[in-house]
Order: sequence, then structure tokens, then C-alpha cells
Amino acid sequence: MSNKLSSSVPTDREVVLGILNNSEEALNKLYTGYFPMVLQFILNNNGDEDDAKDVYQEGIIVLYNKIKGGNFELSSKLKTYIYSVCRRIWLKKLSQQSKKSNDISDFEDVIAVETDVEHHEEKDQQFDKMQSALLHLGEPCKTIIQDFYINNLSMQEICEKFGYTNADNAKTQKYKCLQRLKKLFFQS
Amino acid sequence: MRNEIELEGIIEDYLNGKLNDDEVKAFEELRLKDATVDHKVVAHKVFLESLNDYASISDLKNKMNEVHAQIDVAAISKEVGPHPSFIINIWRKNKAAIAVAASFILLTVVTLYSIQQTTQQSGSVELVSRELAKIKTSQSNLIRKINSTNNNSANVPKDLKPANFGGTGFALTANGYILTNLHVVDGADSVYVQDSKGNSYKAMVKRRDSQYDLAILKITDDSFTALSNLPYRLKQNIIGMGESVYTLGFPKDDAVYGQGYVSSKSGYNGDTTQYQVSIPVNPGNSGGPLLDHDGNIIGVISAKQNQVDGATFAVKSKYIQEALNSIPNDSLGKKIAFSKRNSLQGLSKPQQVNKIKDYVFMIKVYK
Repeated sequence: MSNKLSSSVPTDREVVLGILNNSEEALNKLYTGYFPMVLQFILNNNGDEDDAKDVYQEGIIVLYNKIKGGNFELSSKLKTYIYSVCRRIWLKKLSQQSKKSNDISDFEDVIAVETDVEHHEEKDQQFDKMQSALLHLGEPCKTIIQDFYINNLSMQEICEKFGYTNADNAKTQKYKCLQRLKKLFFQS
Repeated sequence: MRNEIELEGIIEDYLNGKLNDDEVKAFEELRLKDATVDHKVVAHKVFLESLNDYASISDLKNKMNEVHAQIDVAAISKEVGPHPSFIINIWRKNKAAIAVAASFILLTVVTLYSIQQTTQQSGSVELVSRELAKIKTSQSNLIRKINSTNNNSANVPKDLKPANFGGTGFALTANGYILTNLHVVDGADSVYVQDSKGNSYKAMVKRRDSQYDLAILKITDDSFTALSNLPYRLKQNIIGMGESVYTLGFPKDDAVYGQGYVSSKSGYNGDTTQYQVSIPVNPGNSGGPLLDHDGNIIGVISAKQNQVDGATFAVKSKYIQEALNSIPNDSLGKKIAFSKRNSLQGLSKPQQVNKIKDYVFMIKVYK
């Protein structure tokens, strides 16, 4: 195809190592490096810029999980992998919206990534479940849980932040919140 | 309540690996003993993993959104997005297909052109072969005339007479015996003869001689009145090459005169029972008399060769006589005898023709 994209991209090795080390710079380079490629694909296949953003971010998440899962073998160029994953995700979305998904314009080589994408979909469901559970949990439970489990604050810090009289009260509150969240998460 | 909070604290510490060895041992014993505790451990583990995944993915998403905010999406869109023009889009999307279609059309045109060229050639070849086939037919016609073992009917006279039409015949006797070619009347349901005045008479085939392709008809119609004495006689001597001859026949509804010369003393493929005569004849001339310049009958027109101009074949008069002789007397009722006198001798061609025309008949055959 004519308009190949010539934006600067990091080397594959750089990216893999960067992801393993949680390097923000690596993510930055990776994200800016390959976004135009996916944008081009989506725009030329019945999608808009927001679709491109969603699909691309999902693709990056797939790549992250794959690398962090430890079983990442670079059997193709990273570019090809990202393109194939995004392509696969977009085709699924197209068929879910029952838009025509034949006659796809391709700009890169494509490799088989079905299993990775399916694996990602399962995880994505878990993510959505957790998101909606947290949403339904309401304040202040949500913040307490996030502070404790995600931001790794200690009970003492939470106790001070929320003005509980002692750590035991905070613990009890956290316990109640957690029970409710678990209920919401496992029921949905 | 208190215990449960304690329990969960222990579970969390256990999962996070914060217990010391003894505590781990004690707790694992508790898990084995108490299924409820074990279930809680597993559920909490799944939950914590989901929560961690959620945390890391949200983190990643946030970071990506930050990066995304720095990208000038609109500019890139402009560069890589589909062209606003519909036609250019079509072109970009279907470049390959259009290229294939174009080359296909080109190929087709070239192929058609070359096929046309070849067809022209093979057409002329076909034509030649058709001509060859025609020669073959005419050959087999003649061979059949010579051998005449099988009684094949319809295709023999094709070159000489169309269906439901017929040929020519001439009077052998004044009382209504007429000689013609066998292939003219072969396979006929009914035969009519028509004289030069336009009178039509019903006739019957009295005798067939397949060896020389001759047939003798008898007019059976009541309205037929006997002719006056025949003006011509049968000349049995072989006549030489270059002798001028003429014939009278019915290639159309009126009698047609044709003039020519004897070009060979043998017929098709050296057949000695025939002359080759250079004389224009057409379908319908079959069975017509061939006369020399004195008005003697020297043969019967029977066939012509398709591929050779003016190659007409006529059965020699000698064989007419032989055919007549071979007919048993009772078959014809009465011995047929040609007149010995030739009243045409010395007359000019128009006078001869004028006299003869009353004795030459159109044979009409209905099959």
C-alpha cells in the first residue's frame, strides 16, 4: 500500500524490556509509535478516531498481558503482532455491530492471534465486572478498597484519612466494604 | 463478626505470604479441616487477582490516555484516513481488483483478436474440407452409378435435381415410352411427365437399369395421344472428341438448350460407359438427350462433376441400346425399336431444336 507510515518506532527488544520493567517511557514510545498504523486501518474500515483509540488500547493491553504473563515469544515483528491483534478486535466489533466486515483493506501483514484475543476477552469481562462492582459499591467503600488494595495504603493511613477513631473501626469498615464488593463481583 | 474479620486478615496475610512458617502450617491444617475456610481462601484469591488485574489495567489505561492526549490524532487522520473523494477511495480499495479486471479485459481483447484471426484461417480450411467432402459425394454418386448394386435413392440425384422436381426425359417411341435417368425417378411415389406445350401426363416406371442409371417410363394417362414419328435416331457408333453436341433439358419450367462438345471418350474416373462432355448443365438436366450436330442421339446426360467446370457426363448411346435390348419383350409389352431414319439431318440447329422439343419431357417426381 502506498502510504506506509514512517513515524519513529522503538525497537522490539526495547519495548519488551520496558514493559517488563514497567517503564513509562517505553509505553510512551510504543503507544505513539504504532498508533498511526492502527488509526489508518480503522479509518479505512468503517471506523472513526474513537474506535481507533479503543481498539488500539485493547491491543496494547493484550500485548502487555502477553509479555507480563511470561510466555511471550517474539515469533513475528511486534508491529505485525499489534496490527493483527487490533485487526482481529476490530473485525469482531464490526460483526457485533453487524456492519459489513468483508472487503477489509489491509496495510500490513497479518498473523494468527485468535487465542490471544479470546484470552483477552475473558479478562476484559472480569475487568468490566470489577468496574461495575466498584461503581455500585459507592463511597466511601470504593475509596477505602482502592486505597487499601490498589494504592497499598496501610490501615493506619486509611484510618487517618477517613477520620476513624481507631484502626479497628477502620478495619471493620473495610471488612464490610469488602464483603459487599465481593458479593457484587461474584453475583454479577 | 470479630472472628471473621480476624479470619480474613489471616487469609490476606496468608495469600500475601506475610505469615511465618508455623502460622502457615497451622493455617493450612485449618484449611484441610474446615471446607468453609478453604472456600473462603480460594474465593478471596480469585477476587484479589481480579482486583489486581483491574488495578493494573486501569493504571495502564490511564497512562495510555495520557499519552493519547499528546498525540495529534486529527493530523494523523488526515494523513492516513480515507480520501474524501469517493472515486479515489474506490480506486485505493480496489486497486488490485481493477488491475486484474483491466488486464483481463486486455487479455480477452487480445485473445478474441487472435481467435478471430485463427477462425478466419480455420474457416477457409473448413471450406476446403467441405469442398473436398463435396468432391467425395460427387465421386460416390458416380461410383454408385457405375456399380449401382445398392438401391440408394434420395442422395444420388441431389446434385442434379431437387426434391419434388425431377429431370428430363425423351421419347423412345411414339406411343409413350420415355427414357430418363434412374436416379431421377428412383424412390418416386408418382411420376408425371410434361411436354413442351405444358400438358402433364401420368407415367409409370416400366423398367429400371441400375447398371447404366437408366429408366424407362410409359405414359399411362388416357389423355395422351400418340406422338408423330420420332425425328431422331440412336447413333451407336462412338463419336470422337471435339464433336459438337447439344442437349435440351428442364433445369427450370421451360426447356433450356445447351451446347458443347465431347471432351473425353471416357467418363468419371475413366468410366468407358460414359462420355465427358463440356456442356453447361444444371440440376434438372439429368436424363436429357445428348445429340450430335446431325440430330442423332449419342447419349443421356446423367451427372456432372462439381469441381470441374463443364465436366458433364453422359451415358453412351450404345448402352441405351443395350439397356433396351436387355428388357424382355413382355415387360414392355412390345419391342421398342428406334426409328432408323433421322429426319433432322441437314437441318439448322433452331430447326432441329424446334422439332425435338416436342419429344423431350420434363419429368416431375413426387416422393
